[in-house]
Amino acid sequence: MTLFSQPMFWATATIAAFVASQHSYQALKRPVFLPPILMALLLVILLLFVTDTSYQVYMAGGGYLHDMLGPLIVMLAVPLFMQLKHMRQHWLRISLAITAGSLTTVAVAWLLVSVFIGDELIATTMLAKSITTPVAVAITNELGGNAALVSGFVIVTGILGAVMIVPILSILKMDQPETVGLSLGILAHAIGTGRALELGETESAYAAMAMTLTATLHAVLLPWLML
Amino acid sequence: MTGFLILLVFLVLGILVQQLLGLPVPASITGMLLLLAFLVVRGSVPEPLRKTTSFLAPWLPMFLVPVSVGIVLHKQLLAEHGLALLMILTVSLIPGILICALCMKIGRSKKS
Repeated sequence: MTLFSQPMFWATATIAAFVASQHSYQALKRPVFLPPILMALLLVILLLFVTDTSYQVYMAGGGYLHDMLGPLIVMLAVPLFMQLKHMRQHWLRISLAITAGSLTTVAVAWLLVSVFIGDELIATTMLAKSITTPVAVAITNELGGNAALVSGFVIVTGILGAVMIVPILSILKMDQPETVGLSLGILAHAIGTGRALELGETESAYAAMAMTLTATLHAVLLPWLML
Repeated sequence: MTGFLILLVFLVLGILVQQLLGLPVPASITGMLLLLAFLVVRGSVPEPLRKTTSFLAPWLPMFLVPVSVGIVLHKQLLAEHGLALLMILTVSLIPGILICALCMKIGRSKKS
């Protein structure tokens, strides 16, 4: 059918899939393993499969939305600015936790991929796994990774982190609100920050701050390391 | 719309600075850092920009769907390495969590 070759159809379908996913997410009481972006993604993939549409044809319409990412990434400066005030008290240990924690998880993932899979594209793509999806997508091309893959890695990492971090920290008896929030933001970016919102105000403030600082640090640092 | 215009202006500035200096950092990130510097100097968020941000922020994930759908181009890679990748993503989180928690603890004991 010719409708399925129309860019505007696919732009509309993407928005519809996301709106439907957001409503289902609320209706299902915010399941941590099914964030709206993942549900929308699966819906669109299903629709492409059912209508036998290629990614290239889809992207003619999906590109309308994709082009909005530039200004939206610039926009992330606003929450970052508003969160900087939380750093004043403990800026040294916060900077240390963010730098050491985020670079450790990325280094371990990179090493494991290099040793067990041995694929350079996957290993390079892995480098951006700990940062919020828009920033990960923006820097991955610069790094020589793959933007579609990194998006998958980031979403899965976020879900894993949101599920694993709280139980692990409470087993270790290191579950102070600041530590929990910071770990969620550093290791599980926006999905972890969503989880932190359910825990409390301190947790969510620390998570949001850690997420934006990790993204900024990696976005600036990784391209230089890869030169 | 004024708020959105501010974002576009900083994006264009980001493109300009990135190209002039030949930075390896993406133009959008450069634009974000320039906007951050502007906000720090100004000391507050201009009202139109605050409005635009609170309107657009919840929709941000939607704009990431198209690029993420590109995963369909990597079916073979996922079939081959999907399970290993899932395990690597899981395992690599643990040292990250430990280091984070330890850093927060070191700071705490020094302080007290």
